[in-house]
Amino acid sequence: MRGSLARSALVVGALALAWPAQAQTTLQLVEVITSPQRTEVLRGMVDQFEAAHPGVTVEITSLPWGQAFEKLATMVQGGQIPDVVEMPDRWLSLYANNDQLVDLSPYMADWDEADQLTDRTVEFGSYVNNTPYMIPYGFYLRALFYNKKLFEQAGLDGPPETMDDFMAAAKAISELGGGKTGFCLRGGPGGTNGYIMMMANMMGHDDYFDEEGNSTLNSPDAIKGLQFMVDLYQNGYAPKDSVNWGFNEIVAGFYSGTCAMLDQDPDALIAIKERMPAEDFAVAPMPLGPAGKSFPTIGYAGWSMFTAAEDKDAAWDLIAHLSSRASNLEWSKFVGVIPIHKGAEQDPAFQGEQYAGWFTEMNDERWQPTAMPTYLEEFGYFADVMVVQSGQEALLGERTAEDVANEWAEYLTAAQQKWLSAQ
Amino acid sequence: MALRAVGATTDGRTVPGDARPGPGRFAEFALEPYLYLSPALILLALVMFVPLIVGLSYAFRDIQILNPFATGWVGLAHFEALLDDRIFYRALGNTLWWTGGSLILQFGLGLGLALLLNRPFGGRRLVQAVVFLPWAVPTFLTGLTWAWLFNPVIGPLPHWLAALGILADPHNILGDPAIAMWGPIVANVWFGVPFFAITLLAALQAIPSSLYEAAAIDGASAWQAFTKVTLPFLAPIIAITVLLRTIWISNFADLIVVMTNGGPANATQILPSYIFTTAYKKLDFGYASAIATALLALLLLYAVLLIHMRRALPDTR
Amino acid sequence: MSATIATATMTRGPALRSLGRSVALTIGHRAAIALYMLFALFPLFWLIKIAITPDRLLYTEGVRLWPSSMTLANFHFVLLQSDFPTFFANSVLVSLGTALAVTIVASGAGYAFSRFRFPGKYVVVFILLLTQMFPLVMLIAPMYRLMTPLGLTDNLLGLVTAYTAFNAPFATFLMQSFFDGIPKELEESAMIDGCTRFQALRRIIVPLTLPGMGATLGFVFTAAWSELLFALMLINSEEKMTFAVGLLTFVSKFSVDWGQMMAAGVLALIPACIFFAFIQRYLVQGLTAGALKG
Repeated sequence: MRGSLARSALVVGALALAWPAQAQTTLQLVEVITSPQRTEVLRGMVDQFEAAHPGVTVEITSLPWGQAFEKLATMVQGGQIPDVVEMPDRWLSLYANNDQLVDLSPYMADWDEADQLTDRTVEFGSYVNNTPYMIPYGFYLRALFYNKKLFEQAGLDGPPETMDDFMAAAKAISELGGGKTGFCLRGGPGGTNGYIMMMANMMGHDDYFDEEGNSTLNSPDAIKGLQFMVDLYQNGYAPKDSVNWGFNEIVAGFYSGTCAMLDQDPDALIAIKERMPAEDFAVAPMPLGPAGKSFPTIGYAGWSMFTAAEDKDAAWDLIAHLSSRASNLEWSKFVGVIPIHKGAEQDPAFQGEQYAGWFTEMNDERWQPTAMPTYLEEFGYFADVMVVQSGQEALLGERTAEDVANEWAEYLTAAQQKWLSAQ
Repeated sequence: MALRAVGATTDGRTVPGDARPGPGRFAEFALEPYLYLSPALILLALVMFVPLIVGLSYAFRDIQILNPFATGWVGLAHFEALLDDRIFYRALGNTLWWTGGSLILQFGLGLGLALLLNRPFGGRRLVQAVVFLPWAVPTFLTGLTWAWLFNPVIGPLPHWLAALGILADPHNILGDPAIAMWGPIVANVWFGVPFFAITLLAALQAIPSSLYEAAAIDGASAWQAFTKVTLPFLAPIIAITVLLRTIWISNFADLIVVMTNGGPANATQILPSYIFTTAYKKLDFGYASAIATALLALLLLYAVLLIHMRRALPDTR
Repeated sequence: MSATIATATMTRGPALRSLGRSVALTIGHRAAIALYMLFALFPLFWLIKIAITPDRLLYTEGVRLWPSSMTLANFHFVLLQSDFPTFFANSVLVSLGTALAVTIVASGAGYAFSRFRFPGKYVVVFILLLTQMFPLVMLIAPMYRLMTPLGLTDNLLGLVTAYTAFNAPFATFLMQSFFDGIPKELEESAMIDGCTRFQALRRIIVPLTLPGMGATLGFVFTAAWSELLFALMLINSEEKMTFAVGLLTFVSKFSVDWGQMMAAGVLALIPACIFFAFIQRYLVQGLTAGALKG
């Protein structure tokens, strides 16, 4: 009796000692680019993490993308701040500059996979104030989707190589009649990338500001780029309704055969592959501007940690797990982004004809992926509201391209100069 | 009915103290109604009024919601900026168009439908239930469905409109700045007719048929019966439903945000959608609140005018 | 109205002409109703049509009135493979809760407006109207901040509270009109007999306004059922989402699952329909009783 009592006391004592090591931590992970399939994959990766880290549970909150920005902002200002968040490039400067995000450099210094990341990954993760506020999980790069069947019908023997070819191809297809047009123009939300690419192509460079912080968007060549888009629309080479088209409409326009060319990222591939037979379309690099160069826009998203996180070490472990080579490869294949580790794009999944366009853009010197000035806090409003509304005014002919470009340049100059003075 | 008790001075039924004179009753009369009002008042005070005051205060401050320390007092700066804002004036004009167009059509059709339903006929119960359905659909879904219907690639309406000659060719009216507003207005009418139809129907059914019989004996035509008997009886309920519905419509941006996002080129931007964009895309809550305050002032003016007009009309009940 | 017209025409021409006239009017009447029904039902028909169209035909057969092949896969998905049953249950709870809470609160307030004249009455009325005039998007941020420390965010009770507050003014005006229709003498005579006002209210007036309460329940239930903004902002976890927010999950950055979303929308109409059909008899009768002069 006594022996067993002593033994049970020992067991209880041992448990009591071991108990703190089993203390429960709950991490809140918020995903913002949400779809049921993505949530499932994410959940799988998180389960692996939980298995490797007993004592830590992760709750995933999925925000519907259309309202994710507002919802996250409301949660944060109301005090319900998550630990780890999927952070798109456009939101980074806003949260980082308001001291909401943690500087990840001390954690990266101790991370064994840190030197496996591509230079681009490190560069863009530290895009704001040269401080790594996020670990990107992949890159989207714009390339030109084109409808092979319509091109054949119009007698074109391949995708356009220069901007002039592009305008000619759009014209040829629009002349086919029957409601078909050349270009799926994105005049509505999200159209900023299109305008910026055309303007940069015409300028022949992607320096959006000079040294004093003046925007180059109203230089004569940039205005030509904007005029290019306006001409496409006003000549009827893009559908009349496209002035207000967003993502869903341009992709639907493409796979319903209403317009033959589309500039989009690899993640659109997923939606298009499901609805269009693979022989009917292909992806080419974006057309070259008069200077023989092209500037497809590059975007990215990644994982960030909020300063309000209680257990920062556990939160970092989660980010490290999600950004590990194996997890990242699985994730990037699934969501359709270019992975972040060196050599990862050698994976067979990325070798098909459909990824060829993007890999040309990354490897051939004539294409220089350009990042828009998302380090400016005001850029979100600029891209989501100002460009859309004034761009529509230009397309509709209510204002001249020059007038609109001046408005953009003025706004960005003010933002850039404010940023420069804070450096 | 509601407004009568609120604004009328001639309704002897709601004046306490007639039948029971006596001292010490005043305190009771003043206190008792507040007792019944208290649950509503407390709830509203806590949940709506405090946020309302805070929200109004943003108009005078510089609020960037992600930066909890940017709360400087800027006085009337936002309002000064408002006066120079051409988008504000465009949105204001569009709001009048949106509210007026939606209201007149909803009310007209709702009244007509109520008059039609006022006559008993086979299957009336079923029709009444069906009439209510549009009100039960979430406005987000309503907007999406109508946007779908107006899209020539996947919806029938542009083709029918072109066939009828209303449109030159089947294109999406939502992309045409001159007529884009009609899309959300049609969706709003579809959504809002049930509200008027049901409330006006009920009021119609309360009118004693003896009045109509008397009018007929006096040789009144159908139109005269309508204007001399029906309308005066409906006046109170019309006043309150029109007032409430106007306030709701002018604050109702769901359909526009879903169908056109305020575009193209601000052709369908109305004040509530402009407030939403400023608050949640620009994250400038101060300016957004200034716009909201301007809208509030206009609506208050409207409410005061309407109630004043109602009180001025003779009460024929 | 029909009595009026029939009487009027009877006194004029021969019986046959008046018969022809009333037949024409009847046909006109039915036609007008049929026209409206068409208008009301057409978008709902389209919702159903999209819900049963297979994905691959969605864009190619978009304009047709009925797809060439049908599928129940979307309904199957929504009911059996998604979280929608949970969302529906949450919506039902929230809507019923709101409807009940609002009816109680608005009855009290409506009664006060109906029976009393008191200092500050118009001020209160204007405050009620004021809460309807300020856009909700501006109220969300301070409301969220207010509710977080109280634990009312991510909580169905918090949602019910917010809905009750927002719907109370309209319901109050509605209930006031019902009370106006009941003669004051009823509770006054009860009070002379020795009841307190509250007892008189409970025993005599309330049973008479049950139809009116049914009407209020109906409008408020529907308002809470389809509400989106508060539900989106105040609820975070998936187990507590309402179905309106659930519809948003079908809209991802890259595609919209139209078929499934419309299937969910169609299914969501069913409880609203049932509820409304149930209280419908009270609805019309209720609003009627409210205006009756006796």
